[in-house]
Amino acid sequence: MNFFGYERPDGSIGIRNIILVMSAADCSEPVARMIAEGVEGAKSITQHYGCIPGEMVANTLIGVGENPNVAAVLLVGMGCEGMPASALGKVIKKTGKPVEWISIQELGGTENTVSKGKQILKDFSENVSGLKQLEFEASELIVGVKCGGSDTSNGLAGNPAVGVFVDMLVDAGGSAIMMEPIEAVGAEDPLAARAVNEAVREKIYKMIGNEEKRWSVPGAQMEFMCKGNVEGGLTTIEEKSMGAIHKSGNRTIVDVLENTDRRLEKVPKGGGVYLQDGTHMEPMAMSFMAAAGAHMVLFVTGCGGTFGHAIVPFIKVTGNPDTYRRMSHDMDINAGTILTGEESMESVGKRIFNKVIDVASGKFTLGERLGYDNFSVFRQDPRLEVLLRINKSLA
Amino acid sequence: MKRALMMNLKDNVATALEKLEGGVPAMVILPSQEVFKELTPVKAIPSGHKLAVKRIRKDNQVLKYGQVIGNATQDIRPGDHVHVHNVMSNRMQMPEVWYREED
Repeated sequence: MNFFGYERPDGSIGIRNIILVMSAADCSEPVARMIAEGVEGAKSITQHYGCIPGEMVANTLIGVGENPNVAAVLLVGMGCEGMPASALGKVIKKTGKPVEWISIQELGGTENTVSKGKQILKDFSENVSGLKQLEFEASELIVGVKCGGSDTSNGLAGNPAVGVFVDMLVDAGGSAIMMEPIEAVGAEDPLAARAVNEAVREKIYKMIGNEEKRWSVPGAQMEFMCKGNVEGGLTTIEEKSMGAIHKSGNRTIVDVLENTDRRLEKVPKGGGVYLQDGTHMEPMAMSFMAAAGAHMVLFVTGCGGTFGHAIVPFIKVTGNPDTYRRMSHDMDINAGTILTGEESMESVGKRIFNKVIDVASGKFTLGERLGYDNFSVFRQDPRLEVLLRINKSLA
Repeated sequence: MKRALMMNLKDNVATALEKLEGGVPAMVILPSQEVFKELTPVKAIPSGHKLAVKRIRKDNQVLKYGQVIGNATQDIRPGDHVHVHNVMSNRMQMPEVWYREED
């Protein structure tokens, strides 16, 4: 099955034409927001770790700017920040897409910067309006899979239905990314059994082992399962994990994408299932997947989570029939039909595939229609990494 | 009859697909929709929660999806509610907070 997308100068294919106004640090975020306000297709984002946030944050922002859904990028900086807007901009510009950067201090304050920024966005808009949709094969698609607000329906219906879709996508030559470092604790063996070779097998155990260390520090009250999980019937992390990994389907795991201070590995050409190191926390995980090149994310939620992402459209799937009944205006896919016995897993998987193709061709998800554009960035605490003696390199 | 789903023949728990009443027989089905057995919950089981389909002795493994999801902290009878009050993770323990309370 084919979809209609936009070809970028670097040969990547985007499914949206986002004009991104990126503030390197949150001090310049209000100005970025003022610039983006009222401009069609423009979104402003920032990060909240100060202006010297470290390489992991820089890698994520660069990757997000490089994401093919982004048609053009304006970076806004105060001017004195440790991670200058220009440094990020220079890397993103290598994609060949229109990229500019401006400094509030250099331009003489808020008013001048907003007016200069609006001018740049006007040029960007003209450029974007000239882009034509072209037909591409589904093999070009990179789809992230994530679950959250999980109850037991995730493992019984929502996730396995997404798994059926992932198998179909991979068989068509496409790629899938799953990021669940902690929600794989207790499910290492079935994941490792799918590794393409011994090296990838080892990476899987290492990535999950590192995350287990981070979340089991004696004396620290660490909550990795939410109230909704437990009320929804999930008892242990092993149970949650075993349900969570179903959404990655059954095909070979080609690699584990490194996501460290050193580098954020992207999904290479060629298709297949990838695991990505990172975090289980949803909006932040989406930013990592976007930075790795994902076009969109399938989000499986038994309890019913309502949010989205600024860069990657978000298709919400629920396997809980009650949740679908209560929240049908938010849930794109009702997989609750599996538990009521009305529909087979395969049939729901096919419906998901059709939805993915529609969304790839420009059809809005319910979340996009509602205007959801969450954006947040995750950073591992470099001090904790050292204290826990975590060897971050997976290779 | 109300239904509970057992994911793998090795499992010793099934997940209630709707709220099950205590003392009222329910049907344990497999993913193929085939009936595995009839089972009477000891007490009410909330929708999405697990009940034991076999006896699970203290310290023995609790199996779902054919995999170990934790160990029993007390003897569990067929039809008993299986949750945080009688199962412990073998990997990572949650802090002792509100949800450890018996239902």
